[in-house]
Amino acid sequence: MPFAGIDMGIQNVKVVILDDDGKILARSISPSGFEPAKAAEQTFREALSNAGIRRDDIKHVTATGAGLDMALEADSTISMVAADAKAGVYLLPSARTVIDVGAEESRIVVCDERGNVLDFTLNERCAAGSGAFLEAMARALEVRIEEMGELSLKAKGTASISATCVIFGETDVVSLIHRQEPKHEIARAIYDALAERIISMVHRVGLKPSVILVGGVAKDIGFTAALRRKLEAEIFVPNYPEYAGALGAALHALAKAGGNIQ
Amino acid sequence: MISKLLEMIIIAGIISMGILAILIWVKDKTRRVTSLRIFIQVASVPLIFLGLIVGPFGLPQFPPVGNAPRDIVIGTEILGRPFPDGLSVPVLACWYPSGRTITCPIWQMQAYLYPFWEPGIGFGWGIIYTTPGWERLIITFSLVILMAVLFGRAFCGWICPFGLYMDLLSHIRRAFGKAYRKMPEKVNVGLRQLRYVIIAVFMILSVILGSQAIFGIQLIQDTQKGGFIYSYVSAPYCQVCPMRPLCVLCEVAVGAMNSTFVFSHTKGMFYEAGYYITSINLTVLGMATLGALAYRRFWCRLCPLGGLAGLFSRFQPFKRVTLLKLNKEKEKCTKCGICKRVCPPQIKEVYELEGGDVTTSACILCLRCVEMCPYEGCLEVTFAGRSIFESRNWLEK
Amino acid sequence: MDFKRSIKEKKYVVEISQREVEELRNSIRAAYDKVIADYVERMKRGWAGRPKVMDYFYEMADFSRREKELIEAKSEGKKIIGYTCVFAPVELILAADAIPVRVSCGLYEPAKIGNRIVPVEVCPVIRSTVGAKIIGLSPFLEQSDALITALTCDGMTKLSEIMSDYKPVWTICPPRLKDTEQSLSFWRSELLTLKANIEKLTGTKITGKSLRRAIERVHRANRVFRKLQNLRKEKPVIMGRDAMLVTQIAMWDDLERWTEKAELLCIELEERLKENNLACPPDTPRVMLTGSPIIWPDNWKLPNLIEEAKPQGIIVADELCSGDRFLYDPVGVDEWTFEDMFTALAERYLMPSTCPCFTSEAGNEDRVNWLINRVKEWRVEGVIYYIYRGCMLYAMEYMRIKHALDHLNVPTYYLDTDYTREDVGQIKTRVEAFLEMLKARIEI
Repeated sequence: MPFAGIDMGIQNVKVVILDDDGKILARSISPSGFEPAKAAEQTFREALSNAGIRRDDIKHVTATGAGLDMALEADSTISMVAADAKAGVYLLPSARTVIDVGAEESRIVVCDERGNVLDFTLNERCAAGSGAFLEAMARALEVRIEEMGELSLKAKGTASISATCVIFGETDVVSLIHRQEPKHEIARAIYDALAERIISMVHRVGLKPSVILVGGVAKDIGFTAALRRKLEAEIFVPNYPEYAGALGAALHALAKAGGNIQ
Repeated sequence: MISKLLEMIIIAGIISMGILAILIWVKDKTRRVTSLRIFIQVASVPLIFLGLIVGPFGLPQFPPVGNAPRDIVIGTEILGRPFPDGLSVPVLACWYPSGRTITCPIWQMQAYLYPFWEPGIGFGWGIIYTTPGWERLIITFSLVILMAVLFGRAFCGWICPFGLYMDLLSHIRRAFGKAYRKMPEKVNVGLRQLRYVIIAVFMILSVILGSQAIFGIQLIQDTQKGGFIYSYVSAPYCQVCPMRPLCVLCEVAVGAMNSTFVFSHTKGMFYEAGYYITSINLTVLGMATLGALAYRRFWCRLCPLGGLAGLFSRFQPFKRVTLLKLNKEKEKCTKCGICKRVCPPQIKEVYELEGGDVTTSACILCLRCVEMCPYEGCLEVTFAGRSIFESRNWLEK
Repeated sequence: MDFKRSIKEKKYVVEISQREVEELRNSIRAAYDKVIADYVERMKRGWAGRPKVMDYFYEMADFSRREKELIEAKSEGKKIIGYTCVFAPVELILAADAIPVRVSCGLYEPAKIGNRIVPVEVCPVIRSTVGAKIIGLSPFLEQSDALITALTCDGMTKLSEIMSDYKPVWTICPPRLKDTEQSLSFWRSELLTLKANIEKLTGTKITGKSLRRAIERVHRANRVFRKLQNLRKEKPVIMGRDAMLVTQIAMWDDLERWTEKAELLCIELEERLKENNLACPPDTPRVMLTGSPIIWPDNWKLPNLIEEAKPQGIIVADELCSGDRFLYDPVGVDEWTFEDMFTALAERYLMPSTCPCFTSEAGNEDRVNWLINRVKEWRVEGVIYYIYRGCMLYAMEYMRIKHALDHLNVPTYYLDTDYTREDVGQIKTRVEAFLEMLKARIEI
């Protein structure tokens, strides 16, 4: 009997379907748009067809994410923090610190070996510690966000910007452009600023190895490189990091409805 | 013997009823322990001076001097030989009245060096010592150490008659609506150290005076039997002590001492007021009285006897075995400072120390801080590790 | 001449037309009447089996009844003295036969008006109080004849300046170190000046007798105040936000009547404790709040969120100057002479205070001790460290507190917010994640 997890993210809705051994059957993602409930339904259907099963086959559905109340299909809900912890330990059994950098929200979760949350912190009410910061900066730099990571890897690290806030960051970028700093240096400075912000959050909770990085931003090689440069610990980045929330929710569904995962 | 027992039972009954009455009548929870303490202090005055613990009323009193009932019970019946002086309990109470139960250890410490180093009959005192001075000194010290280890300085707070005198003076001051004064911290700590200087000075003085008997060399004239110093200045600290005139006057007042005997022995400018009440005594008493009117428990801060009890209970190795302790639980303390303010000898350690054992050598264990602390279980008194009284939320009536 | 005029000149006040003032006042008043009604309704719904006497407190939660009483008392010639901070000794006000009210404002909309004078970075308590004064909104602030402000944080310091544009302001300055000999004597002399000011305003001399009566009056309130807190130690017999509301009301209610009503509540709760008639399931995660003051009504969003969340939490204790700290410590008088009473009073308002404006070598250990004691005695399972944006002192002390609580293995969550109602959604996710974690910890 399969189980499903829906992550109602701020930008994208993600769905993961697991079988009762905890193997991933299907993944699906689509933008939330203005009608997250509809998007969720559609993504869910898509995942079902990817897995080749019917709705009635699903034993339990768990929703998570900022808009979890809008997941009409869900049988239960779970917070993103708990979902991250579960997914982190599933993806890397030795993981004790899960860093989830999403579009609007970043989370640092410290957990035990069974995926129970021990401590956590979220970014403050400001988008400077999340993916939105990168998007805004890419816009200021006039590069596509997908290219920025590649670009930053060429840099030596001569420039720096502050990451107190998106607006201040943008003015910093503009002034760097005016100083005729090369684009790749600015790109690196942007990633460094975000990484530093995340690291200060990590230190407030207290770092425990091993570290796993998930969330949409984890796909950005510029960011992972910056974080690896700055954080004195090895960082594991799984494949499909953006599905961590949905995976955690699916694992919760599995645990709740009595699957047999080890 | 039976009538004596009966009397003692009656006295014990009266005292326990008094304690009960105080606990019931005193509604203000912040005054209960203090009231009880004052009661016990008052009750101890006759016990100390009239020797009620061992020898009840109606027995030979001073003069003529002779074996007091206590000497018979403790000396003859328990030790098997005369034991002329009372138990060495660290309270300021002179040894004059026969039938005394308790004798000031400071007097004993001096007197056994001079003039009673050698066994024999004390001239003019009518006391027979069968043991040498050093043996008696060992007994005195052992008793003081035992008492101090058992109860620390609780004697100072709960029994000492001079403490009662100072407490009564505080009451009088309060009745006039006047506030006490705060002694500067440096002076307070300085006085604390002065106590040990006083003990040392007078002990050494006694050794010098008694050099004839102890070393066989007379260092100071007139110290031989019948000499002026022998007759008048035998225990040097007692010539200074503020308690002596009070003690003697109390004895005279209750008829335990012969007033003509006390007042007729005058000699020189220091002894105008009489044999037992020197001018120095009176001056110090006057100063102590003024001090006690201004500061709470003034004399306790520089009392050598208190210092002695403190020495044997609050310093290593005695500290390790002392039974009565004041404990503080760090986490329950809000550092509100009440304990520091209400402390009669103005000790700041109760407030300042982090937690655990907060008793100091200046603490008279009057328990005012425990009584006034408004946080349940923050301060507590323990005896042999067992809590006997702890602070409670006194707002609850 | 010149000097006198310069004093009368307004220092901070911005010109604003009477019409605008009235418009703003009316619209905001209508808005917050709605908020109060809504919050009270939610509290009632959250605790269906509440004791009857709680209705008194729900009624007092609306400021208008007390406002009417204050106006009446004023017409009888009584003086009303407002204070912004728990450092103000209410005993002195009571001894002079005046009425003390705490005037710090907990309304959201005035904070926006306050932005006209103070920058947005300043903490919302200050901005809201300033804003409420500009448009004459807060009933207690309007009725008070004088204000006592304590120079604790930077916000309070400048608030006293701004307020002095409107009414007499008496500042008292607590020393930032408690343990030096000078600090207490300085603080005592500050209060002596305050006493003289109060006497001058009310025309009543504060004597030993009247001060003693006032201290004993507050003792009675202290007693009930503590009793209510102790009742929350064992089982959740009262919802946390209801207990907090009762505490808040002590700040503006007539103290004697409050004592009476709160006593009734305590008696009822004691009964319920015996009958095991609880306000919520006994295994509900037990939360403690600490940090910036939570002021009725707008800050109630956090207590509301905690106690309405899924999974539900219950606030069993707090370390807030607008909460459990307000009347917790009694004045401990040794001798009932005026001098000693006054020293005791001064000590009571300085020494046990856990305000982060104090510092010591041990790092404000009074606060740490309070929290540790609460965690142990009230069996707290998680601490929410609640910060207003702009509340520097509390924000900076977070790591100190976190380290201390980590030793006890109690999780702490740092929550950064404002008076705004817009961030409820964000806070909700955080609070729910925290409670979920607590719940999971308990199950383990």
